[in-house]
Amino acid sequence: MDAMTYTTQNIWTWWIAMYLYFGGLGAATLSITFLTDMYCRPHRSLVLWGAVSGVVLLGLSSAVLFGHLLHHAAVIYVLTPLAFINKPDSWIAWGTQFILWMMVWGMVYALPYMRETESFTRLPVVGRLINTPVAAAVARFCVRWRSVVGWLATINGVGTAVYTGLLLQSFPAVALWHNPGVPLLFTVSAFSTAFAYLLLLMHTFIRSEDDQDLRHRYELLDVILIASELVILFSFFNYTLSGSESGYRSAQLLWHDWGWLIGFIGFGLIVPFLLELRNLTGKSFSRMATVVSALLVLTGGYLLRHYFMYAGVYAYPW
Amino acid sequence: MTRYAMVIDLNTCVGCNACMAACAMENQTPVWKNQWRTYVHDKEIGFTDQVRRRFFPRLCNHCSNPPCLTVCPTGATHKRADGLVLVDPERCMGCRACAMACPYGARYEVTYEDIRAGREFYGDLQRDDPSMDKCSFCSHRVEKGRKPACVETCVGSARMFGDLDDPADPVAQIVASGIAQPLMPHLGTRPNVYYIDDMKRRG
Repeated sequence: MDAMTYTTQNIWTWWIAMYLYFGGLGAATLSITFLTDMYCRPHRSLVLWGAVSGVVLLGLSSAVLFGHLLHHAAVIYVLTPLAFINKPDSWIAWGTQFILWMMVWGMVYALPYMRETESFTRLPVVGRLINTPVAAAVARFCVRWRSVVGWLATINGVGTAVYTGLLLQSFPAVALWHNPGVPLLFTVSAFSTAFAYLLLLMHTFIRSEDDQDLRHRYELLDVILIASELVILFSFFNYTLSGSESGYRSAQLLWHDWGWLIGFIGFGLIVPFLLELRNLTGKSFSRMATVVSALLVLTGGYLLRHYFMYAGVYAYPW
Repeated sequence: MTRYAMVIDLNTCVGCNACMAACAMENQTPVWKNQWRTYVHDKEIGFTDQVRRRFFPRLCNHCSNPPCLTVCPTGATHKRADGLVLVDPERCMGCRACAMACPYGARYEVTYEDIRAGREFYGDLQRDDPSMDKCSFCSHRVEKGRKPACVETCVGSARMFGDLDDPADPVAQIVASGIAQPLMPHLGTRPNVYYIDDMKRRG
């Protein structure tokens, strides 16, 4: 019998996968919509859909984590900006601040658009709130400093997406997590799923013929990101095959699992890559192909984090 | 300066689990769900007539570069000047990142339910807040010049506790001799629990 013990963990399971998934997706969605609004063309519907759904996703992400805390009252220590001073070395402290400020700047950026949109002004509570003198002053501030607010939101959004990977990277015992590829992989995946989500919106709720160029650009960027993700995963495969027993065992868990191979790599990456590539390069465009590939990419994004959490192997010398 | 450390001799650990019992009573750990600050693993090693049992006590390694400390978002996990890595239950929000970061499996949960059960089991429970928990090297005893409960109770004298910065301390001398080695030093955690391997004496 081997003197070492190799085991996976049951401390952070699907709920942390949800936290990482919603956090990355929400943050990247906000960043992309604001960058589009600032540098492509002003797009009220996209900003409103992106900001509201992004904030909801970030709220869901935070709620999942909060729900699983052992001592809920102590969360106050990471909610104030003092967390940066108290614990500048903790990625959860940074991540919490990124998420909080992303939500704040996200709402501030969208506020001027909300105030001129009837469906928002008519809402019972929200309508009254966005018409208060304070909200009017914040909206004026945002219009005047639009790029600054947009970039503050974007920086926090990118920070959140990168943080989801840095969090796992900070656990040194597991070779699958403790390497520089994880933040890269999770950031690429967050932006890929966000493009997929926005494409889904633009083919369902925001259906405008004027957006043809945007949809094309989003689909092109999504294809590039999916291709990058496949390259990063291939290098992960090579990295885990040798070097450490922990990594090798993680590789055995992942690459012998049909959910990872067929579910994530197959239907979550390769199939949407081919469908979107066909749309971009073929003579005919299929709206259904884009919608299906977006749904597959969104599902794949969760599967990546789910399997990553479960495949981390600890090596104990007893 | 003082830098506390423990040396565990795997040759003299007989697997009596007295250390686990002493620690549980001293630190009121949730034994009803098999959670301990220190645990003795009992493993059979080898084949057929060569098989032997090995008892392997484990606990928090009070690392000099503790990954559980850097991941802790609230500052609940902190390191004292004497090297002891401690948890402040009032400040710990229980995100469990420390348990994920620890390569030695030293962390476990104390929930609201455990506090209720602990009041029934131990009577006067010393904690009010749920948190992640781990070995403290019995800091409350060490401050009074006593040794940790597990060390004091060990029948085989397998556990030794001392100051690495004191050249006259037997623990410092054993560590300096190289016969005792830390676990997984390649991870860069710089552990302060050292093990004298039983394999070497069997040839």
